[in-house]
Order: sequence, then C-alpha cells, then structure tokens
Amino acid sequence: MKTKVGISVFIAAAGTDPRFARLVHRYLLSAVFWLLAGSAVGLVVAFRLVDPTLFGQSEFFFHGLMRPVHTLTVLFGWASLALVGLGLYVVPKASMVTLSHGEIRAANVALWLWNAGLVIGAAALFMGFSTGREYREIPWWAMSFIAAGDLLLFTVFWRVISRRTVKGIYISCWFILAASFWIAVILVVGYMPFFRKGLANTVIEGYYIHNAVGMWFTPLAVGLTYYTLPKLLNKPIYSYALGVLGFFTHMVFYTIIGTHHFLFTPLPDWIETVGVVFSVAMIVPVWASTGNFLLTMKGERTAISLSYSLPFIFVGVIAYGLVSLQGSIESLREVQEQWHFTHYTVGHAHAALYLFVSFLIWGSMYGLVPRITGREPEPAMVGAHFWLAFGGMLIYSVALFIGGDLQGEAWVERLPFMESVRRVIPYMVWRSVGGMFLLAAHVIFAINLFKMRPGAFTMAYESQGRK
Amino acid sequence: MRLDVHTSLRTFFIVAGGLYVLLVLACAILPAASMERQYPITQEWVDPRVERGEQLYQSYGCIYCHTMQIRGDERLAKEGPDGTLVVPVLGADRRFGLDEPSRAEEYRNDDPPFLGTERIGPDLLAVGIRLPSAAWHYWHLYDPRAVSPDSNMPGLPWLFHTEDTQQPEDEKVAPLFDLDVPKGRLYATPDAQALVEYLLSRTRPESRR
Repeated sequence: MKTKVGISVFIAAAGTDPRFARLVHRYLLSAVFWLLAGSAVGLVVAFRLVDPTLFGQSEFFFHGLMRPVHTLTVLFGWASLALVGLGLYVVPKASMVTLSHGEIRAANVALWLWNAGLVIGAAALFMGFSTGREYREIPWWAMSFIAAGDLLLFTVFWRVISRRTVKGIYISCWFILAASFWIAVILVVGYMPFFRKGLANTVIEGYYIHNAVGMWFTPLAVGLTYYTLPKLLNKPIYSYALGVLGFFTHMVFYTIIGTHHFLFTPLPDWIETVGVVFSVAMIVPVWASTGNFLLTMKGERTAISLSYSLPFIFVGVIAYGLVSLQGSIESLREVQEQWHFTHYTVGHAHAALYLFVSFLIWGSMYGLVPRITGREPEPAMVGAHFWLAFGGMLIYSVALFIGGDLQGEAWVERLPFMESVRRVIPYMVWRSVGGMFLLAAHVIFAINLFKMRPGAFTMAYESQGRK
Repeated sequence: MRLDVHTSLRTFFIVAGGLYVLLVLACAILPAASMERQYPITQEWVDPRVERGEQLYQSYGCIYCHTMQIRGDERLAKEGPDGTLVVPVLGADRRFGLDEPSRAEEYRNDDPPFLGTERIGPDLLAVGIRLPSAAWHYWHLYDPRAVSPDSNMPGLPWLFHTEDTQQPEDEKVAPLFDLDVPKGRLYATPDAQALVEYLLSRTRPESRR
C-alpha cells in the first residue's frame, strides 16, 4: 500500500522561495508538454510502420519527416528539460545554498531559449530543413537557442557551486555541472562547419550520436540519483569512492566509443576497435554506479514498497545496469552482423532512454518536487503511471528485441529482403500496443505533475517579508 | 601539487573539462582530419538535377530506413593477387549483389554521406545498378505497394501529377507492363524527376562516368 509522505513534505516546503518552486515546476511542465507531443508523434510513426497508408499518404505523416521530430522532442524536449529542471533543484540543495533571484531569472530565460529552439527546430524539420545528420537534424540557427540556454544554465550551476556553504563539491554537482559543459562541446563539434563531408563527417557522427546520449542524459540521470536516493532513504550513499571511480571511468570510456555505430565501414580499423573495447569497458562505470545504488537500497524493501517514488528509482537503476550491459554486448563485431541496422537497436535505445533515464527522472520528480511545492500527487495515480509505463516499455522493447533478431536472422540466412519486412510486422503491432500504454502513462503523469503544482505556502513565505 | 577535485571547483573543472576536450580531439577531431587528408574532397561537376535529388533524399529523411553502405568483414581480409588487401563483403550484406564493400572514396564528396544506421528498407548504395529502370522508381515512389506488394514504405504521391493536374515541366511516366501498377497516366514533377535521377546515379565508382 503506497502512502503519502504527508505533513513532512508540507513542512519541508514551508521555507521554500516560491519563485524557486515555480521555476522547477515550470521546467517540468515544459518537459511534460514535449513528452506528450513527442510520444504522440512516436505513436503515429509506430502505427505507420505497421501500415504505411494509415492516416493517408500525406507529406505531414511521412516517416522521414516525423521521426526526427519524435527524437528531437523526446530527447531535447522531454528528457533534457526534465533533467535540467531537477538539476536546478539538486545543485543548490547539495551546495546548501538557495538560488538568488538573478539566477532564477537566468534559468527562466534559459528555459524560454530552449523551448524556442525546440519550436523553431520542429517547424524547420517539417519544412524540410533537415541537415540529414542523425540527432542533429535541426539547422544550426535552431540549435543555437538550445546551446545558448545550456550555456546560461552552466553559468548558473557554476555560480551556485562556487558559493556553496559546504566544503566538498557533492558528486551530483560533478555530474550535472560537467554534463552541462560536455553538451556544449558536443553541440559545437556536431555543428562546426568543418568535416561535414565524406567519412570525416561519419567520424564526427559517431562521436556526436553517442556523446549526446552518454555525456548528457546518463551523467544527469546518474547525478540526480546520487542526490535523490540517499535523500529519500535518509542515509548516505553506500560508497562515495565508488561514485568517484564511476565518474572518471565514465568520462574517459564513454567519450571514445561512438564508432561502434560504424563497424565494418571503411573507417580506420583502430578507431572501430577502440569503440568496441571501451564499450565493453563501460561495464566498470555502469556497475560502479548501479552497484552503489543497489547496495544503498539493500535492506530497504519496506521503504521502497511504501514509497511511490522509490519504485521508479529501483527500476531505473536495474535498467541502467542491464541495458548498458546489453549495449556493451551489442558493440561486439560478432553480433553486429545480425543485430546492427535492425529494430533490436531501436529497442535498446528506447529501453535506455525510458526504463533507465525516464524512470530515474520520475523517481526524482515524485520524490523531490512535493518537498518544494508542498503538494503531493495521488499515490494510486502514481501507481497507474508506474505500471502503464513499465508494462508498456516492457512490451515495446521485448517486441523489438525479438522482431529485430528475426529481421537480422533473415539477412544472415540470405532470405529475400522482403522476408525481413514481412517477419517484423507482428512485432510492429506489439510495439504500437506498448506505445499506447506509454501515451496513457504520460497523460496520467501530466495530471500528477499538475497536482504537484506550487501550493498555498507561498503566501506564508511572502507574508514573512522574505523577498 | 595536490589535485583536489573534491573541494576546488576550478581544479575539478580543469580536470573534467580539459580531459574531455583532449579526448574529443584525439578520438573525433584528429581522426576526422586524417580521413579528410587521406580522401580529400574533389571538385567534380554534378548534374544539378542529381544535386536537387540528393537534397530531397536528405530532407525526406530516407536515411532513417535505408543505408548506403555495404559492410566489409575486415576479419577475413586476404591479400589479393596484386598485393592489395581484399576485404570480403559481410555475409548479411551479400544479398545486394555487390562483391566489394563500400570504399572511403565513394563518399568523399557526399555532404553528408548517407551511411545510415537502420535498414527497414534495403540498402541503396548502388541502387542505380540493381534497379536501373526510371519507370520502376517512379511507380515505386508514387505507390510502393503497387510494385512491391508487402512494402512498408510510405508513398510520396505529392511528387506526382495526374492528367488533370499536369504541369508543362512534368515528365510522363512510362507504364510498367510486367507489374500490376495502377492504370491511368502519371506525370512526374521536377522534384520526382530529380529524386529518381539521384537514385539512378547511385552506382559504383568504376561505372560512374
């Protein structure tokens, strides 16, 4: 039986600057807007992979135009804004300072820059302005808004950490500050006007694709969890040293593995092999953090079963370990002949961004936001969100793992190509079923987020004359 | 000197940011520069229609379902009769009828090269050799299922006109008698012509004249 946290949440929220509570909540509202838009587009794409004539043969629903809109909105809209919004909660709290009004204003401006970049970018994609480069399809003039927003956030994080009132810089701040710098480098390298042609572009592509995932989403999600998990369990992290090991091995290994997307191509062999070797070495940072979180949760079964936020973190942590292990295996040349280019990869990408990143976001969100807004969601509604999201993604990813494997098997056995198309149709149906669960989960999540809006305590704060 | 990343923000940033930038230089910028030096961009005349077709291939996002790369199995590379290293085509990629994997110089002028990461549809590296009929491509783009019954590719009918909407610059599409394609006359707009022109230009370097 899940229970509300109750009065302690209200007390925790009572001393909060309402501007700060509204700031964090506003980031999350933007994030949920992009999540709803992105998953609706994704669902249409999924339906049309079953039957490409569904909704008519119009340009508007064309796969190649809708897919980048889906990836843009869920990656740069949903996951990024939710992670950054929670980062704006975690960094000041872990530094034991409150955000100044200037910093709150800067973070607000960053949010609008980011949203403007997304709107302009999505419109540009529909108008055919794609750069033709995966995950950096939107033109540079749209991405500049997002980059400017990120730089603004980096300065906010920097300023907050530099006036911290504790001696050490907590590891969450490490991950979040570093990620907001790394993504700036990633965007500059991904959009610089050099190496745009030929295989030079492919080298940059491998770097960009994998770093945008591994040096942005992963460190932010892991960094948040290093704060939220000990906070919710009210005990320190199992091993701080293990976290430090995880941070530095992650930074060195993850940066250089992007070429595993381009094995068996005419790229130099050494760079392909570096990609494979360090993809396997990723087991070290991944299990340093996963193990650390699991050992922190050891013996906390009751706390997890009573809480409505900890189950999300539990799933997210397990998924982080397992999906990353799957990624290490997928990078091996031996399995790429069959699995590369198939839906298996798509299943992996969704399991990673969803069961790992999004579940950790939700865990932190349900765990932290009530502490500054003073309002809690209905535990039953959070439960509905959890099971629809978990079940939906399980159906989705398992369908793609099996379908992708069969698809690749048809190629290895040299059956006619159409056989690989026919084979995956039933799995595309299951994928759409999973997708419908996910959209339903997101609608419930949106309601829950609305329930967590900043509450009446703001008046108490302002009447105390604390401006 | 003690490297205190735990209490000095500046030291932490120099380590985390500096090391990252060095790694990016070593594993992205320098290899990219060496690829460009090894296979320099050449100035070649390209048919403006092919160029327009390439642009359409890019903006319609064809790369999300079609690769343009034939993978080579470097593990089985053998020395050929003339002493050069011969890399055989990877087993799963042999169906596309090519006996040599992609070569770096095939992509040298592509901006961007469409290697792709997914194969929901077949590889198009040398589609101009495999499917040399313009009429086939027109009917296929208009309605993929007309020529390939189980296809899950969406059509691009907005690139075509019919008898009533026909424009002067349109090209009449020849009927395909051996296939069950829709009856009636079909007219390809300049964009459809460009796209097909581009697909037909996709051949191996030896046969590119």
